[in-house]
Amino acid sequence: MGVASVVLFFLMGMTFFDVLLRSAMNAPIEAAPELTRMSVAVVVFTSLPVLSAQGQHITVDLLDPLFARFRIDRLWNALVSLGCGAMLWWPANRVVDLAERSRSYGDLTEFLQIPTFYISWLIAIMTFITMVVLILRGLVMLFAPRFMESAR
Amino acid sequence: MTASLIGFAAVLVLVLMRMPIAFAMGLVGMIGYMAENSFRGSISMVSRLIIDASQDYGLSVVPLFVLMGLFVNKGGIARELYQVSNAFLGHFRGGLAMATIMACGGFAAISGSSLATAATMAKVAMPEMRRFGYSDRLSTASIAAGGTLGILIPPSVILVIYGLLTETSIGKLFIAGVVPGFMGILFYLVAVRWSVWRNPEAGPAGERATWAERLNAIKGVWAVLLLFFLVIGGLYGALNFWPIYLRFSPTEAAGMGAAGAFLIALARGGLTFSGTFEVLKETSLTTASLFSVLIGAWIFSNFVNLAGLPEALRGAVTAYDVPPWAVMAMILGIYIILGCVFESLSMLLLTVPIFFPLVTSLGYDPVWFGIIVVVVTEISLITPPVGLNVFVLKGVVGNVTTGTIFRGVTPFWVVDIIRLALLLGIPALALYLPSQM
Repeated sequence: MGVASVVLFFLMGMTFFDVLLRSAMNAPIEAAPELTRMSVAVVVFTSLPVLSAQGQHITVDLLDPLFARFRIDRLWNALVSLGCGAMLWWPANRVVDLAERSRSYGDLTEFLQIPTFYISWLIAIMTFITMVVLILRGLVMLFAPRFMESAR
Repeated sequence: MTASLIGFAAVLVLVLMRMPIAFAMGLVGMIGYMAENSFRGSISMVSRLIIDASQDYGLSVVPLFVLMGLFVNKGGIARELYQVSNAFLGHFRGGLAMATIMACGGFAAISGSSLATAATMAKVAMPEMRRFGYSDRLSTASIAAGGTLGILIPPSVILVIYGLLTETSIGKLFIAGVVPGFMGILFYLVAVRWSVWRNPEAGPAGERATWAERLNAIKGVWAVLLLFFLVIGGLYGALNFWPIYLRFSPTEAAGMGAAGAFLIALARGGLTFSGTFEVLKETSLTTASLFSVLIGAWIFSNFVNLAGLPEALRGAVTAYDVPPWAVMAMILGIYIILGCVFESLSMLLLTVPIFFPLVTSLGYDPVWFGIIVVVVTEISLITPPVGLNVFVLKGVVGNVTTGTIFRGVTPFWVVDIIRLALLLGIPALALYLPSQM
């Protein structure tokens, strides 16, 4: 979360100064667009595992009372978490392939000449971590529910 | 056609079974794409989308606007907005309810969420209205209705998501939301007046504030209101003159807004290091959840398009010779019904991939449709029997029955329908300003 916060703050500051410099001195930060793109990817993907661990994805909780009444809410949530984690396996692997491909092509960003596969690799790694987190969360819910409560 | 309908049904079932929306739409989209194309093709599409979407320049508007809202909120702006509106309106009959509407409108300008607006304003305005002997019916209704302004008055997260989903200009959507948003405030004020005209005991007049008190109240909010005008003005290009020449893209406007809100909070001394970190952390998490649902919705919409649903729907419309207005009426009906079950963001994500291609192929303006969708969603938030704002409010306020709130909300609901009819009949209300950009 620390990384995401710092990068987000940097993104805010950079946009601010980019606009100021451009309108006041006609000297925009040329690398701003590509830095913006990279920052967003970092913010999103470093936050994703935390978001998943906390179970804060956007859900519709309309039928929650029903699950609770039949006392299957814990079991059900665990299964959903396991399923969500498992389905990330294929895209995560494929993102690795795409990252490797862009490395072999030597793709660079326009101004700063940063290799684009850095970000792709970050996305892949974070997707894998999110997958592990979701699966672990499901398993903990199933087999060690007390741990979940104490964590909260 | 059949494939997409099965897919849509599957998403609905999964979502109701508590699967996160992002994963439900992503999974169904992935499997559906597989069935129409191939395993490899489907996984490639999904991965490419994940990589590209997370590095899309246009999407950077999301974290920055969320950040702006949270920084402004940190300073306790809701209470101050209410105090200002109260100082100016409190001495009228029903004045406190009118002040609630105004404060909701002001708060909506910075926050982008209806439920959050209703919940926040309930804590601020409810005790005050009770103190002055306002009826529960009028006070809760004005909060529930005022809260719905949150998703129309720019900057609105819902409009951003609509713009990103449909590749419609976010700047134009924001500007298009200005007039309908102010109409909303004005109409709600009329609804309050009507309520106290029918039942004068519901909203007795308060004391008249002195000008000194009024000026004092303004001190707390002028900076934030100025920031709002700077952001929206810059987006519209209204500040593009000597000596400043400010003209923003949506991302720049959001960045200026966030930085401005940060500086305001800093200047007022209410911001600690850990408070700043807290805001940044919350923004990052919200951003990640919004990006997840966006990516999920895109995967699903790629499948729906590949399966040919838009063409099939268009074909059906031409084959049965249905006039465009009837199609629009049906779509609006579906929104009102879905609004009983889903909150605004989920509803938008589920429906826009299906309806948007159809609506634009019938010749409707994409910006206008965005505004209409948001207005209908607002209405569904206070429509009986399950308007979500009403339930959030009941949760915060406690000892009021939902029946009371719904009865109080009726005049607000009626003026909302009038507003919707006006927007449907006179598209220029939404479209004139953006056409001047």
